[in-house]
Amino acid sequence: MSEVVILASNLCVDVRAKKILKNVSFSARRGEVLALLGGNGAGKSTTIKTFLGLMKPTSGSVELDGVNVHNDPAVVRQKVAYLPESVMLYGHLTAVENIEYFLSLSGKPAAESDIANALKRVALQESAWHSPLGGYSKGMRQKTAIALALLREAPILFLDEPTSGLDPVAIDEFNRLVSQLASQGATILMVTHDVYGACHVANRIGLLRDGEIVGMFDAPENGNIDSETVHTAFAQGALK
Amino acid sequence: MSSPSSIILAIARDEWRYWRRSSLAQTVFVIALALAAASVWVTQASMAHTTEQRQHMQSESKTAFEDQPDRHPHRMVHYGHYLFRAPPPLAALDPGIDGFTGNAIFLEGHRQNGATFADQKQSSGLTWLGTLTPAFVMQLLTPLLLIILGFGVMTREREAGTLDFLKVQGVSPLVLIGGKGIALMGAGLVVLMPLIIGGLVTLAQGAAVLPVAMFLLSYLLYLAVWCAIVLWVSTLASTNSTSFSGLIAIWVLLCLVVPRIASNSASVLEASPGKLETDFAVLKKLREMGDGHNASDPAFKALKDNLLAQYDVDSVKQLPINFRGIVAQKSEADLTKVLTEFAEQSMAQQQAQALIARSFGWLSPMIAIQNASMKLAGTDLENYQRFMREAEAVRFDFVQSLNKLHAEGMTLEQDANKYQSAAAKKAATVSADNWQILEDFHFTPLSAPQRVANSVMALVQLFFAGAVLLVCIVIAGRRV
Repeated sequence: MSEVVILASNLCVDVRAKKILKNVSFSARRGEVLALLGGNGAGKSTTIKTFLGLMKPTSGSVELDGVNVHNDPAVVRQKVAYLPESVMLYGHLTAVENIEYFLSLSGKPAAESDIANALKRVALQESAWHSPLGGYSKGMRQKTAIALALLREAPILFLDEPTSGLDPVAIDEFNRLVSQLASQGATILMVTHDVYGACHVANRIGLLRDGEIVGMFDAPENGNIDSETVHTAFAQGALK
Repeated sequence: MSSPSSIILAIARDEWRYWRRSSLAQTVFVIALALAAASVWVTQASMAHTTEQRQHMQSESKTAFEDQPDRHPHRMVHYGHYLFRAPPPLAALDPGIDGFTGNAIFLEGHRQNGATFADQKQSSGLTWLGTLTPAFVMQLLTPLLLIILGFGVMTREREAGTLDFLKVQGVSPLVLIGGKGIALMGAGLVVLMPLIIGGLVTLAQGAAVLPVAMFLLSYLLYLAVWCAIVLWVSTLASTNSTSFSGLIAIWVLLCLVVPRIASNSASVLEASPGKLETDFAVLKKLREMGDGHNASDPAFKALKDNLLAQYDVDSVKQLPINFRGIVAQKSEADLTKVLTEFAEQSMAQQQAQALIARSFGWLSPMIAIQNASMKLAGTDLENYQRFMREAEAVRFDFVQSLNKLHAEGMTLEQDANKYQSAAAKKAATVSADNWQILEDFHFTPLSAPQRVANSVMALVQLFFAGAVLLVCIVIAGRRV
């Protein structure tokens, strides 16, 4: 493993005097997939939003590729692709137009053929490519957003509940994509409820409960993290 | 990474794409363009007709006066004459106060009449569309349409969650606001197109380039101010409904409430006497001057004594001129002095009231654009007062010309005995050839540079509003 790309150091985030994250520390190295598992309100989305510069830490810091996110958010955002839980794309635009628009804003325009390849890769049916997103199912919107994230070719990916709304076939395809991206050098932080999916793709899994990291599991060499172990720990945490 | 300017343009283009695909936005555009185009066309046509009509009536009035038979000159003083004010070319876009003040004035002896035949007084409720002028549409309705079009430019992004997504793509909120602002200004420009075409038509009709250019620029500035208001509120608001209700409240305040407060404040702070009060004051002063129809009035004793001494005669009957005509001349001059004094007082009060009302332009861009627009079009209070002064000069000259005929065209005896018989009446007349005393009247508004200079304060008020809003937008944008 090489250098640390994603780093949270003693991260605390308060929102209206409520402590959402309490002294959270973790890291992910280049090419690693780190999954944060946690129940509702555990602080998963807040962690991602802090890395994206959308929320400020009350104390502690978050760094991407050695750069403090809140010191230079514009530079850091160039290296990041983000897949939100509920897809934030434009309903009046088609899948192709959405991708073209967001890529043009990030200064990485793509050729039509590249967009087509990305949409094929995420298995979005071709008949829907030129229909407005307003008429898409949640899964179809999710696939469009994944295609956009792929085309950004960002070295760091933040995935917030990425398989939510996807059918089982698409989930398998998505997990395969994540593994493929990581093998190509992308560093991925994924937050999810999906224990089995996380165990399938992640090199490391952190358990987040009430804003604190309460457990960290590493995958064995050439193998996956044991889902039963994580599930048991997750279930115990949820019962506490 | 793309440059901020290319991102701004991409955002603006996308906003336009959204409007092209939104039935609400399409409806707003169609209504805005239809209203603007219809108002320009209807008002242009109406003004062209009015100008032609007034020129024709001016000529008819002159002919009717000159066609009068041999008469006693004082009868012609009371027969009177009409003056018509042909509207300046830019009045086709902003008739200003013309519609309320009247466009014709009846000139006669011993009286300074006000302008009459105001369009507003002639129209019934059913013809209210006739008053839907381009200025009214641009000043009052276009901001409303910009609100409907743009209230969600920022809140829509916030509600849909795309605002955060855009930030993650590296788009700063200020760049996003810039793009939305360009899109909104583009919409304003589209709605302004009929007015721009109308402005070009006025150039073809003889309007000076400078005021027309400034007129269009001032409306562009006004719409830019409204775009900034829409953008600012949409940036501050958290939801579409908050943004819309906030903007409607601001529109009501700036376009309806503040102008009303401005006019009420002007009447309270610079109270002017009522018409009845003024009429009584004028009458009282005139009574002190003597009756010009009565040459024996003691008020004219000094005039009589001076004339008798000048011609070295003992009685007015021995004068080589008609003393009654001399009295009429003196009386008209004195009376005009008094009437002009009251008229100037009244006009000064109107100016003072207008000045107070105009100062509210610092608070309401609508008041600022109203003033800039009327001043540049030549349809403001100053131009109306200029017409009244020019008309009074014509009235005085024409009445005194007739009084001179009265003094020199017959003897006192002929004049005094005119009711004795038909022959005596005939003797106390002058030839109809003498009625060629009316000169052609063409009212010219203030010169183009003067109109532009007079509009500077209103334009500064609009710039001020724009600058304040720009600062507000930047502050709001940094908090997004």
